[in-house]
Amino acid sequence: MSRGWWALTLLVARREWRERLAARSYRISTAILVVAVGAAVVIPAVIGAGNSASKVGVVGGDPAALAGTVRQAGAVLHAKVSPIVFADLGAARAKLRNGDLDAVYVAGREVLIEQQPAKGDSNARSQLAGAIAQLAAGPSRATTAPAPALAVHGLKPPPTPLSTRIAGLAVVVLIYLLVFIYGQRITSGVVEEKSSRVVEVLLGSVRPSQLLTGKVLGMGVTAFLQVAAVLATFLVAAAATGSELLHGAAVGVVLVGAMWLVLGYALYCTAFAAAGALITRESDASNVTFPVALPLLLSYVLSFGVIFGGSPPTFFKVLAYIPPTAPIASTTLYAIGAASIGDVLVSAALCLLATGLTARVAARIYERSILRTGARVRVREALRGDTSA
Amino acid sequence: MPGSVGAVLELDDLHRRYGEVAALDGLTFTVPAGKVFGFLGPNGAGKTTAMRAVLGVTALDSGSIRFAGRPVDPVARRRFGYMPEERGLYPGMKVLDQVEYFGRLHSMDAAAAERSGRAILERLGLADRVESKVEELSLGNQQRVQLAAALVHDPELLVLDEPFSGLDPVGIDELSAVLGERARDGVTVLFSSHQLDLVEHLCEEVAIIDHGYLVAHGSVDDLARGGRPHLAVRVAGDREGRWASTLPPGARVKSIDGGTVAVALDDAACADAVLDAARAGGMVEHFAFERRRLSEVFRESMGRAGAER
Repeated sequence: MSRGWWALTLLVARREWRERLAARSYRISTAILVVAVGAAVVIPAVIGAGNSASKVGVVGGDPAALAGTVRQAGAVLHAKVSPIVFADLGAARAKLRNGDLDAVYVAGREVLIEQQPAKGDSNARSQLAGAIAQLAAGPSRATTAPAPALAVHGLKPPPTPLSTRIAGLAVVVLIYLLVFIYGQRITSGVVEEKSSRVVEVLLGSVRPSQLLTGKVLGMGVTAFLQVAAVLATFLVAAAATGSELLHGAAVGVVLVGAMWLVLGYALYCTAFAAAGALITRESDASNVTFPVALPLLLSYVLSFGVIFGGSPPTFFKVLAYIPPTAPIASTTLYAIGAASIGDVLVSAALCLLATGLTARVAARIYERSILRTGARVRVREALRGDTSA
Repeated sequence: MPGSVGAVLELDDLHRRYGEVAALDGLTFTVPAGKVFGFLGPNGAGKTTAMRAVLGVTALDSGSIRFAGRPVDPVARRRFGYMPEERGLYPGMKVLDQVEYFGRLHSMDAAAAERSGRAILERLGLADRVESKVEELSLGNQQRVQLAAALVHDPELLVLDEPFSGLDPVGIDELSAVLGERARDGVTVLFSSHQLDLVEHLCEEVAIIDHGYLVAHGSVDDLARGGRPHLAVRVAGDREGRWASTLPPGARVKSIDGGTVAVALDDAACADAVLDAARAGGMVEHFAFERRRLSEVFRESMGRAGAER
């Protein structure tokens, strides 16, 4: 791929993204996404958190020393904390249970919170409790070896990791929507060039491979600008409101999802372009895009059951390793904690491999069909190359 | 820049099959620089396939295409301008943006493409429509934009597939003028057409093909003169051409139309004998060698091609 090859390809890409960025529908859909994500982050943070000081009950021991430890923990976390001395553990637990207290520090024994967060997750309360537990065991005592931290216990067992599940759901919806919407846009862009016949003028100076690459690159740029806007909104809104989403495992899910979005687009974009090359009329578009998008749709529908259900079926775990279903299946499994980052990377590698292969086959179909107008070209015909362009 | 003498386009033994059909079957001819060159043939003769092959839009089974003595490659094609039979532009793109885009696809930088785009659009009378979308223009104006897209980069070779189809008489004159201008500047111009009278008027040279190979090639004058000489003779008062019953050997009546007798001669030398015969019939009003129409040459070529098969 020489410099000249890329120069023309980038010209094609540039035309695509300029046209797209200038379109009103693009601006509107970006605005809607940004507002939706912003609201999803800000509203729970505003309703849930409040900025009042956390209340920590202290029981037993030297109340002044315990209160000091609690304040110290608050200082470490840059949070306002007010210790409240209880003479009786039972009373403190009752207050903790009905939500009047955020934590109870039982001298020399444990730190109690209402509910342990899910494994790998944390929230403001669990962080405060963890800090108290560390400091309580720490350097205040002059022993030779540092004492182990106090245990943090929840009055209720940890829940299923809901925040990561919800983040997973949001990311899966986004992957499905963006790959599907941009895929269809690629198809209709290819059909437009075919039906307006501009493609033959283009092919007088540009190779089909350049036209194909430029189109998916240009469309990709607009897609990722949109995703970047959404991610930036997520980060800024979460940071500004001090949302717990920034601390928990949800961030991991968002990052894994972002990676899968890129991979999913890369895998599907060339296939959508090839589908567009098979037809001449926009009205035929859904007939050819449906088979292409079917694996995506299938994994999307199944992912809901997995996110809200218990343990995922083996069948769904297999889907995470099959490239066309992997972008959604792998993200889903990671979000519910059923796949490690290692598992994700393995299926990502498989997906990359398949992307190269798909691009090759798609380019072949595209090149063989792009000049054929009239009746729909059959895939087998296009691959065999017996065209009458 | 164009103007270099000898930027000749050579098509050499081109072959291309589509399944059972041979679209090009050993097609060979050359297009000289600095002349408007017409490319003729019936539907399905292989004109479009040959033109697409020049632009690299269609692959060849075998054969070679050279321009200015060198095999044509993608770099050489950047100096070509192309107007396919199936016209096409981006409907929603602005006129100037579109022409500029095609200029840039032919290696122009942005500033040069814009400058040249504005100039050519102005030349074609579209100066006030540069910001309009293509779909807002009339069909005639869309054709003008199409031509601008083929000319914006000052190509050294222009390949135009049926450029006159769908044009009104004003458009035809305009396009003829532009093609003539470009040819005089040294550009090699190859265009196909069905409008034979137009081709005769506009072209200095033509190639006629059928079934994928060349059946006639040369200057319009030579082709028109070629073959058997023809005379047109009219004798005053003889509307039935009765005098022609006494034609000398080697001369035959081809047709009689309103007193004008068309006579085919085996040899131009027997024209004198024909004149004598006419004089014997009465006062000779008209006596001239007839130039054949290109359409006649064309039909004759088709007939021969059919007979050879």
